[in-house]
Amino acid sequence: MRIGVFIPELVRHLFKKPATVDYPFIKQELPPGFRGSPYLKPETCIVCRACERDCPAEAIEIISINEAEKRFKMIIHNDRCIHCAQCVDSCPTDAMNMDTKFEISDYDRHNLKMEWEYVRAVIKPKSAEPKS
Amino acid sequence: MKFQIPIGPQHPALKEPIGLRVMVEGEIIRDADLRLGYNHRGIEKLAEQKTWIQNIYLTERICGICSHSHTTCYVQGVEKLMELQVPRRGLYIRTLVSELERVHSHLLWLGVAGHEAGFDSFFMYTWRDREIVMDILETITGNRVHYGINTIGGVRRDLDELQVKKILDSLDILRKRSEYYKNLGTTEPSFVARLAGVGYLSKEDAIALCAVGPTLRASGVPRDVRKDDPYAVYDEIPFEVCTADTCDVLGRTVVRIKELFQSYNMIEFMLKNLPEGPIAVRAPRRAKPNEVVSRYEAPRGENIHYIKSNGTDKPERLKVRAPTLGNYAATIKMLKNGFIADVPLIFAAIDPCICCAERAVALVDARTGEEKVVPMLALKQLSQKIYGLNARKREVEWPL
Amino acid sequence: MATLKTFIYLIVYPGLLFLFIYSTFVEWYDRKLYARFQNRMGPTHTGKAGILQPIADFFKLMAKEDITPERADKGLFSALPAFGLAIVSTAMLLLPVWNYSLEKPSFTSFNGDLIVMLYLLSLPTFIFFLAGWSSTNLFSTVGAARVLTMLFGYEVPLFLSVLSPAILAGSWRMAEIAAFYRARPLLILVNLLAFFIALICIQAKLERTPFDIPHAETEIVGGTFTEYSGKKLALFRLMMDVEMVVAAGLLATVFLGGFPANPWIGLVSFILKTLFVIFFLSLIRATTSRIRVDQVVSFSWKYLAPLAVLQLLIVILVKGFIS
Ligand code: SF4
Ligand code: SF4
Repeated sequence: MRIGVFIPELVRHLFKKPATVDYPFIKQELPPGFRGSPYLKPETCIVCRACERDCPAEAIEIISINEAEKRFKMIIHNDRCIHCAQCVDSCPTDAMNMDTKFEISDYDRHNLKMEWEYVRAVIKPKSAEPKS
Repeated sequence: MKFQIPIGPQHPALKEPIGLRVMVEGEIIRDADLRLGYNHRGIEKLAEQKTWIQNIYLTERICGICSHSHTTCYVQGVEKLMELQVPRRGLYIRTLVSELERVHSHLLWLGVAGHEAGFDSFFMYTWRDREIVMDILETITGNRVHYGINTIGGVRRDLDELQVKKILDSLDILRKRSEYYKNLGTTEPSFVARLAGVGYLSKEDAIALCAVGPTLRASGVPRDVRKDDPYAVYDEIPFEVCTADTCDVLGRTVVRIKELFQSYNMIEFMLKNLPEGPIAVRAPRRAKPNEVVSRYEAPRGENIHYIKSNGTDKPERLKVRAPTLGNYAATIKMLKNGFIADVPLIFAAIDPCICCAERAVALVDARTGEEKVVPMLALKQLSQKIYGLNARKREVEWPL
Repeated sequence: MATLKTFIYLIVYPGLLFLFIYSTFVEWYDRKLYARFQNRMGPTHTGKAGILQPIADFFKLMAKEDITPERADKGLFSALPAFGLAIVSTAMLLLPVWNYSLEKPSFTSFNGDLIVMLYLLSLPTFIFFLAGWSSTNLFSTVGAARVLTMLFGYEVPLFLSVLSPAILAGSWRMAEIAAFYRARPLLILVNLLAFFIALICIQAKLERTPFDIPHAETEIVGGTFTEYSGKKLALFRLMMDVEMVVAAGLLATVFLGGFPANPWIGLVSFILKTLFVIFFLSLIRATTSRIRVDQVVSFSWKYLAPLAVLQLLIVILVKGFIS
C-alpha cells in the first residue's frame, strides 16, 4: 500500500487536453462501415421480399400499388428499425444500403418513416452467396 | 434497533431495477432478501415467433454489455442443430470479438467498482481507456454496443490488414494502462480498505451455491467453460484460467484484471494466426427437429442457451440462463453480516446484469405462498385496484 | 463613517454579497479542478469556461418544486437550511480579512475568536444531523447517524492541530496568530504536519470524498439530504460552499500567515491562499475512494490524533527553544 499513488497521474492530466469531446458542438469522425439507417436504391430492387422477411424488427413494409404496372411501395419504419443491417445482407441485388447517419431522433415517430415508390426492376440476382 | 432498508427497485447503486431488502442492525446487515421480476421482457416467448435469423438480433438484445455472448451462445446452438461447419476464419473473428468484448466488459466493471466505492477518478480513467476497445469494436463490427457480427454459419464482416494493425497498436496502450490500474487498484490504501475482506464467499459455499464466472474463480475454483468445454477455437489458443484465493471483492477485482491480460495475449495470438478463407457458410432456413444446449463463457460467467427445434424455421423453445442468475444465491450469502456501506460493492462485484436474468415471472402471494396464473389484463386491473386503494397508506411493511 | 464601514463589512465585503459570489466561484474552481484531474472538461458552457454554472445551478434549484415530507418535523425541516447558512456566514465575519486592528479588539476580532470559529464550524455538522433526523426518511436517518459517528472521529484531531499554531504564537486571536507568522515566516514550517492533519479533518467536516459517507450516493441515496429539494437544497448547497470558503480561510489564517490589513492586498491574498488550500482539498477528493464510517473513526484515532499530539509536542519544544 502506498499513499497517494494516484497523485502523479492526476496532476499530469491537469495540464493536458481533456479526453472528452464537446460533443454536440464538435462532431467526431465515424469509422467507415458504421451501421446507420437503411435506405433503398429503387432502381435495383426486384421485390423479392427477402428484406421484409428477415427484418427482425418488422420495420420494412412492401406494398403492391398496381399489380399490372408492377408498381410497389416500400416503407422503412425507421422508428422501429434496430439498425442491424440484416436487410442489407439479405438483399440479393444490393438494393438495400446503409448510411452512416445516427442523429436521427425526432419528436414524431412518423417523421422517421421513409417511403419509395418504384417499378420492379428486372435484374438477375447474384448467385446466392452470403455476403462477406 | 433493527430496521429494513429497501435498496431498489429504484436506487442510485442499481443501474437496473431489482428489489433488495436488507434487514440491518445499526450498520450491520442481518438478513437480505432479493425480489426479481421488475424487468421481465418476455424474450423467450418472443423468440418462438421469430425465425432463426431474426432471433440472432433478439438474443443480442438480452444484454447490452455481453451482447456478443448471447448471440454467440445462440448461434453456436443453432449451428449444431443445422449441422453446419463454420469456416475457421469465421470462428477466429467471432472469438476475437468475444475477447474484445471481455476486455470492454471488465474495464467497465473496474470503473463501476470504483464508482460504487466512491472512487470517481478511477471510474473516469478506466472508462476513458475503455473507449479504445469500444472504438476497435466499432471499426470492426459497425456499432459500439450491438455488434451484430454473428450470423448463422459464421460472421458477417471480415477483418482487413488496416484493422489488424490498428488493434495491435491499441493493444500496447491497453496493456500499459491495465498494468497501471492493476498497480493502482491494489495499492491505493482507501480503495483497498474498501475491497479487502468484503463479501467473503468460501470455496465450499461458492461451489454449493453454484456461483459462476469471476465470482467463482475468485474463490479459488478454476472453472471456465473456455478451458473445461472448449467451444469455437479456444482449444487452439494458449491461455490460463485466472483465479484468486482471497474470496473477497479484492479477489474478484484481481481475477478480472488478470483476465484482461489473458485476453490481450489471446487477441494478439488470434490476430497473428488469423487463417485465410471464407468467413461464413450458407445456412438453411429450417432446422431438423432436435434439441441442443450451448455453453459460453461470458465476461460475467457461464452463459447457457437451450434450443429446441421442430423442423420449421422458428425455434420451438429457447431457454436462456444468464450468468447473473447463477450468482444471486451467492450474493445473499455474501451480504449477510456485512456493512450497509458494502452492499453496492458486494452487489456490483458479481457484475449483475439484471435484465439478462429476468427470464420468468411467477405471481406468488407473499403471505400465503400460493402461486397463480393470471392473464395480463387481470394483472393490470389488480394493480390498479391495489394501488388505487393503498396509494396513500403509510407504514406499509414488506410482507416477509 | 464607522457605521458605513460596518455595513459594508456585513453586507458587501467580506459579508453576504462577496461570500455568495466567491463561494460559487470556489465551487466552480473545485468542480473544474476535479474534472481536469479526471481528464474531463467540467462545466463548459455557462459563462466563460462555465464559470457561472454554480450560480445557474443555484437559481435552477431555487425555481424547483419544494417538497416537505408529510411526517417530517416541518418547522425544523424548513428552518435548518437558512439557519445553517447564517451560521457559516457569521463564521466568515470572524476571519481577519479586512476590518480589524491588531491593537484594539472589536466585535469581529477579539481574543478567543479562534475558539468561537471552531465552535461555529462544528455547528453545521449538527445542522446536517438534525436535517437528516427531522426528515424521518430511512436513508436520512442512517445518514444522520453517520454524521455524528464521523464527528467523533475528526473533531478532536482538528482542534488539536489548529491549537498547535496558536500555542506557538501564544495567542487565541486569529489576527494575532496571523501577524505572528507573517513576521516570522520560517516558523510556518514547524506546523506543516498540523496543516495536513487539519486539511484531512476539514475534508471530513465538509463531507467530501473520502469522507462523503453521510450522503454516499451509491449506498444511502442522498443520505441526510434525501428529502431535501428545491430552495432548501439550494441553500444547503450554498452553505456547503460557504463552509468550504470559511474552512479554507481558517486554515490560511492560522497556518499560512493570514492576510495583510490592506483591503486590496488582503483581498488578493485571501483569494490566493484559499484557492491554494482548496487545491489540496480537491486533490484529496480526486485521489481517494470513499471509506467506511468505522474506518474513519479508527483512522482518525489511530493516526490523526497521535500525530496531532506529536505536533503539539514539537510546538512546545520549539517554543521553549525560541524563548
Ligand atoms: S437494419 Fe435491421 S431492423 Fe432495420 S430495416 Fe434493416 S433488417 Fe430491419
Ligand atoms: S430491397 Fe433487396 S431484398 Fe428487399 S425486396 Fe428489394 S431486392 Fe428484395
